[in-house]
Amino acid sequence: MNIEEYISTGVLEAYVLGELTPTQRLDVESKLRQEPTLREELRLIEQTLEAFAQRGAIKPGEGVRSALLSKLDGQKEAKVVPINSQPTKLAMAASVAIALLTSYLSYYYYRQYQQTSQTLGNLVAQSQQLAQDYSVVNERLDKMQNDLSIMGSAAFSRIVMKGTDNAPDAMASVYWNSATQEVYLSIHQMRALTQESQYQLWAIVEGKPVNAGVFDMDPGGLLAMKPVSGASAFAVTVEPRGGMPTPNMATMQVIGTMPKT
Amino acid sequence: MKLKARDKSSLEYLYDNYSAALFGVISRIIRNEKIAEEVLQDVFLKIWDRISFYDPEKGRLFTWMLNVARNQAIDRTRSREINNDKKTSELESFVSAIEARGNEELATDAIGLDEVLNNLPEEQSFVVRQLYIKGYTHRELADEFDIPLGTVKTRLRLAMMELRKQLDIK
Repeated sequence: MNIEEYISTGVLEAYVLGELTPTQRLDVESKLRQEPTLREELRLIEQTLEAFAQRGAIKPGEGVRSALLSKLDGQKEAKVVPINSQPTKLAMAASVAIALLTSYLSYYYYRQYQQTSQTLGNLVAQSQQLAQDYSVVNERLDKMQNDLSIMGSAAFSRIVMKGTDNAPDAMASVYWNSATQEVYLSIHQMRALTQESQYQLWAIVEGKPVNAGVFDMDPGGLLAMKPVSGASAFAVTVEPRGGMPTPNMATMQVIGTMPKT
Repeated sequence: MKLKARDKSSLEYLYDNYSAALFGVISRIIRNEKIAEEVLQDVFLKIWDRISFYDPEKGRLFTWMLNVARNQAIDRTRSREINNDKKTSELESFVSAIEARGNEELATDAIGLDEVLNNLPEEQSFVVRQLYIKGYTHRELADEFDIPLGTVKTRLRLAMMELRKQLDIK
């Protein structure tokens, strides 16, 4: 294999990144000693790598430099302690060594402790969040199951209320159990109201409107309303927040009558 | 040389000139900034301790330091501590995994490595990213992506040639 072929295998790049086996490394090193072309190529590769790394440089936090230097000072002191045959000096050296070791160990364990407690804190926070999410989802599931059982129940009649001229696109339904008097409202489409006003549901009983409760937009699923008996129709009007004893018929949004059985 | 006599001021010199380049390498392999800084500190302590093993005949000092940094960072990602940390953050970022990926792209982008890497053919920039940014060894890269080891080497070779042109190394 000539030099060019040898270079083109990428063996020098692997050498530079320390990716060769010891045998391969020794082989490259002996070739480098013999071939100036290889040495020149190695120089270019190393410079490229350095320029690339400098290009991707990220400045570390200020604290690292000072922490490093004070660590080095600690190391130096440990080595500078003179040890001679005098027992007091020896004892001193030993105590210095023990003090250094102890402070290192306490630092080490403190850091371990910090990391562990941080991890634990994270895990606890996560499990609390999960429990919270779970109960929210569970509640919603309960509500949906309940809604579904109402919608599918033969005891409930469904009264579809269609939009009036005030709101031609509006639509809502009432699920009404005439035996238990329970009333549930389902909104399909109704426009949003201002803060001051609210929708009010009316049941028409023997030709007269009876208050069945107020509601806002978007309850998410079925909305339980006031119990009603003997209704022949249901309607929704817009009233001041809190509702009114009698409806403002001019604001009627949707209306629907009991299906004839 | 001075550093061989373990003169503290020469280590300060190295730190001031090369810590950012080495930290760039480390923090691409280790995403946690705190741990990356610990590793950087360990790297300089190691440089200090092992400077007598550095042989100028065999290459530039920077190359030697780069490998100390790279190996230290790779070792650290293999350690249990980081694995735990990874698991934790995986749970945390379960929902925002896609956002996190976006940020990762941004992190390399902001520093201008992408600028040079994007000019490389896909297969070459891929190899550089995996080796340099993800901290894979050649062997791991070959195994993981089912590329022959020789191909990994030649692709890296081609990528380095291209980078040489881009970075204007003569």
